[in-house]
Amino acid sequence: MPTPLSEELFKECIEHAVQKVFQTMLQKDAVPVPGESPLPPSEAWTPPPDLAGAVAIGSVGFAGDISGLVFLYLSENLANIIVSGMLGMSHEEVAEAGREVSSDVIGELANMTVGTFKNRIQDLGYPCKLTIPTVVWGTSVSISPPKGAVRRTYIFKVENLSMVADLIFKED
Amino acid sequence: MHKLLTIDDSKTIRLILARAFKEYDCALIEAANGEEGLKAAAEQKPDIIILDITMPNMDGIEMLTRLRATGDKTPVIMLTAEGGANSVEKAQHLGISDYIAKPFQNDAIVGKVQKVIPLAKKAA
Repeated sequence: MPTPLSEELFKECIEHAVQKVFQTMLQKDAVPVPGESPLPPSEAWTPPPDLAGAVAIGSVGFAGDISGLVFLYLSENLANIIVSGMLGMSHEEVAEAGREVSSDVIGELANMTVGTFKNRIQDLGYPCKLTIPTVVWGTSVSISPPKGAVRRTYIFKVENLSMVADLIFKED
Repeated sequence: MHKLLTIDDSKTIRLILARAFKEYDCALIEAANGEEGLKAAAEQKPDIIILDITMPNMDGIEMLTRLRATGDKTPVIMLTAEGGANSVEKAQHLGISDYIAKPFQNDAIVGKVQKVIPLAKKAA
């Protein structure tokens, strides 16, 4: 019998996943922003000020007894810190390597985060499988969930820079 | 010199593994999916394979099934974000040596490989 998925349980699973990935791969803390995370459920949300410019969005889906997508929104500055930390490159080397390398790193960060989240959900009785990561870069990007989907949005701070985990899902 | 074949669609993971094994006396061979991995395994005869599960074209489970069907018994360590019991069970039935869930630390993957093949550090 699957464990009912409460809001508190989702929050715990996504926070555990984000913190584990940042701690293991980057030795950095990803701290949920108290009082702001999760945002109230809605179809749209306003990004924190440091995510108002160019952002990288990494996403990975999960499909099975529960299906959905998790989008990770990162500012270009935070994306560069992550690429530098994961590949052991200087910031100059990251700039030289270009967007292709950065996109691959952000995709893998999303893959690890959503994988950790999904594995916990699966252990609660909701078998599902991961999809391949996708990464887009842009400004003023917004995502509208399909009708009937549930949305939960969580804000973290990493070295004082914002990261948003936007979870959109449907139970079968 | 030992040969390690890393099969992962993420260039990031292949770069992280290259850094992790840089100090060790081994050669790394890379493949980006199961199809490329099968080809590299047949041609290069690696001593160990580090294999992802979720990949385009041919995933790790299908690749491992096909590899074992040829009679190839090369030790395989799964390194994947797909930690579902079903996938892990399938991989175990196909005779994997070990399993690591992503995220991972370099010491962990080096330690798992050293349990399977005698990997020594490069002479200074």
